[in-house]
Amino acid sequence: MKLSELAFERQDYAYAFLDEFAKRELRRKILKAIAIPGYQVPYASREVPMARGWGTGGLQVSLALVGVNDTVKVIDQGDDDSVNAANLRRFIARMTGVKTTTDTLAASLIQSRHRIPEELLNERQVLVLQVPMPEILSSIEPSYARAREMHSDGDYALLWLGLYEDLVKYREVSYGADYPVLVNGRYVMAPSPIPRFDTPKLHQAAHLTLLSAGREKRLYAVPPYTDVYPLEFEDVPFQIEDQRGWRDASTGAAGKFMSEIPQDGGGSSYQLSDTGLKQKLERQMAGEEIEIGATYFDDDTNFYITGFLKGAS
Amino acid sequence: MSLLEMTLDAPRLLEMQPLLRVNNLCKNYGGIRALENVSLHVYPGEVLGIVGESGSGKSTVLRLLNLEEPETSGTYQLEIPELLGQNLFELNRFQKRETRVHHIGIVYQNPHLGLRMHKSSSGNVAERLILAGEKRFAELRRAARESLQASEFPIARMDEPPIHLSGGMQQRVQLAKAIAMKPKLLLLDEPTTGLDVSVQALVLDTLKRLQFELEMTMILVSHDLGVIRTLADRVMVMRGGRVVESGLTDQVLEDPQHAYTQQLVHAKL
Amino acid sequence: MAYVAARGGEEAIQNSEGLYRILNGDLTRQNIRAIERHMPYLVDRVMGEGSLYAPELAALALAQTGGDLYEAVLLLRAYRSTQPRLFYALPISSETTMVVRRISAAFKDIPGGQILGPTLDYSHRVLRLEALETDSIQAPKLETKNAAPSSYPKLTDWQREVGLLAGELEPAVQTSREVAALPDITREPPIYPAPRAQRLQALARADTGGILTLGYSNMRGYGGIHPTVNEVRLAYAEVQLEHPITGAVFSAGRVRVSSAEVVTPFSSGKTPPELSLGFAACLGWNETKLIAAAMLDVAMSLQDPHPAHQEEFVLSHTEPVEASGFCIHYKLPHYVTFSSDLDRVRKAQAGGSLELELEAVGV
Repeated sequence: MKLSELAFERQDYAYAFLDEFAKRELRRKILKAIAIPGYQVPYASREVPMARGWGTGGLQVSLALVGVNDTVKVIDQGDDDSVNAANLRRFIARMTGVKTTTDTLAASLIQSRHRIPEELLNERQVLVLQVPMPEILSSIEPSYARAREMHSDGDYALLWLGLYEDLVKYREVSYGADYPVLVNGRYVMAPSPIPRFDTPKLHQAAHLTLLSAGREKRLYAVPPYTDVYPLEFEDVPFQIEDQRGWRDASTGAAGKFMSEIPQDGGGSSYQLSDTGLKQKLERQMAGEEIEIGATYFDDDTNFYITGFLKGAS
Repeated sequence: MSLLEMTLDAPRLLEMQPLLRVNNLCKNYGGIRALENVSLHVYPGEVLGIVGESGSGKSTVLRLLNLEEPETSGTYQLEIPELLGQNLFELNRFQKRETRVHHIGIVYQNPHLGLRMHKSSSGNVAERLILAGEKRFAELRRAARESLQASEFPIARMDEPPIHLSGGMQQRVQLAKAIAMKPKLLLLDEPTTGLDVSVQALVLDTLKRLQFELEMTMILVSHDLGVIRTLADRVMVMRGGRVVESGLTDQVLEDPQHAYTQQLVHAKL
Repeated sequence: MAYVAARGGEEAIQNSEGLYRILNGDLTRQNIRAIERHMPYLVDRVMGEGSLYAPELAALALAQTGGDLYEAVLLLRAYRSTQPRLFYALPISSETTMVVRRISAAFKDIPGGQILGPTLDYSHRVLRLEALETDSIQAPKLETKNAAPSSYPKLTDWQREVGLLAGELEPAVQTSREVAALPDITREPPIYPAPRAQRLQALARADTGGILTLGYSNMRGYGGIHPTVNEVRLAYAEVQLEHPITGAVFSAGRVRVSSAEVVTPFSSGKTPPELSLGFAACLGWNETKLIAAAMLDVAMSLQDPHPAHQEEFVLSHTEPVEASGFCIHYKLPHYVTFSSDLDRVRKAQAGGSLELELEAVGV
């Protein structure tokens, strides 16, 4: 018998690419993040074969968590077929051999840039959000060292003052995506640049959300069933994007986040941003028997937790 | 304390506790002694003036009383229910901020120190309430307007940033911010220095009225004896980080005992 | 590995990479060898910023990316992430390296002497056009005269002796165990203010162009320091390992290293004044970067609000992989965030939803 017969075949790269020390560090930091909801845990952040800023933080978390029985879904702007999402999915599959899917219901691990899927996630699912700027205070305090002090003091007055100034100047809050949220009553957190439409989905969610910024070397978490409130004055309610009357051009779906497509000669048409859902709806319309999950918002844009959104969109 | 002073202060001393007690305050910057055993007691509703030349330590006293800088030694107490018996210098960073927000207002000579020059004036005032936990926008507007009005700031300009305002108006925004939480203690560091004489007189009028209406205790630092004479009940003369003389304003300015005070008063005359 | 159905996006990726490869030609072993042999300074730069000393892999990275420096550095860094750390080498001290160039601007002559060594510093920068007309121009042959000393004293030792440089030296790290205990920027996140070890590691890996830019801003006057180059060294160093069982020390190979030191008067903030020392070192030979980095090392210790004097600013913005990656990430689709912004703009254009009266003041 030869030694080579006893050993596994040599592979150029380890399972899930990262060496085991890197994965161990990530798993420990993830546990810490879950223990302190919304707190940014610094981590070493290894380089991975994608450019920094292209989802390397999310990818490291996914690689540290992905097991052989997982089914992975990767989306960018809600789209499974977006080139960068396809590239990340291809890489995870190449380095682990796990199954991949575009169906939110079938996925156990979802890595996403800028969106949370429309179908309700459950307790057995993990959502990994890619984060460009983890520090919500960076626009008012560029030094991370000083911002950490402000977090430790719970000193968020300047964020509130920002809301006040917006209202005075524009009669509106100017935050588009990445709307600041208070997690578990303690830390104000950047939810990553998800639209405001997706922000309430984090509140008392059944699933675990992990947020990871590879370039800035910070990861943080919203554990299942945690309070997540957008910063809002009591008398000026938080608003999601106003997409009333927008319908998906091919399925007629409404009450979900839409991509606006400018048309020749003015006007716009609309497409469901969640392409996984769009595909399923199209197949259903074609007569296929297909399971579509409950959604966070109904067709009239009513959020599933009644009373959580006080303001009209 | 001189005999004369005791007799004059006696009735008040018998009736009330001082709002503010500072004992043996010392401050070093590197090897330099900026304050040497400064003690002061100020009574509720009283205005204490601090005079002295630049470098005498008078502004340092205010910065320490505003809990902006650590002391080298000494104690500092405010007669406020939740702070009774507490040496404020021993509070942690968070508690110091709370104390500043709720109980101490300050107006600096340089408005850049006290204001966010590019935020709205009303926002500058509202920030005090935000820090105190106010989460109603309408209440922030109401309170900002009320404070600005009290400071005789032209309300039509309440949402303009201070950078676009005149010096006198900037001081009124600072004042509105300082009184937004109706603090017990108001610290004024050369609040009218650098303003035109006519504007200066108007701002002093406002200060005098507010002090009366809100029954605030004020500590006023100025090198201008005219300003001190207008506002202060008592005056403390500082030189080289030490208190050289103190007493009722009229008494000290009319009949200065210490050679340095005599110089100051005569230079003024 | 499992089969994954190619979808539209994946096909597009494969085609675009294919086009790139066609433009850059075949990847041949000969080309890789040629880069490794004939572009040592380029290879050094990629290895230094990639923080992985592997000339063959660096040459491969350059060949594979058509010479795109940031891409090549990223390739090395990403490869490095897959490698477990098995041993810590013994520390390299400048006294035990084989110095080939060592100059000081501070004194006309220094203990051990000025060694000009290999450099283009005093060459005429003219293109050698005749090379285009002939097959090859031979490198000159130089006669060896006298053997070089095995080591050179450090100028800072002399400066300490005569009282120009004060401050106690921290005890030198000596064993591999002590090396392993040092803060390590590749294993721990940077927290500012950074421990000195992390600062020097970050400078060693930093982007040459970024360091030069910030260092140059200091030199031109956006900073209060007036540095003098104390020493610049180019050298070869043995990487020595301890055998895990016998403890015997053996050499794992030889690497090119360089270092620079600058001294500045009156920036220590002390009275009486003393010289402040700035230091930087990296894998490979890269004099320009190290001189600028050593100056920044001094500047970052000053209490000065200028960005080029702020450790967090300098170190976080000269990280080549992060800076270049984030810059090109703006090419990614951002239409969800943009539509969210548009929603705000449209609402505000329509006058906003808040009724904000400039209440009853007759405005």
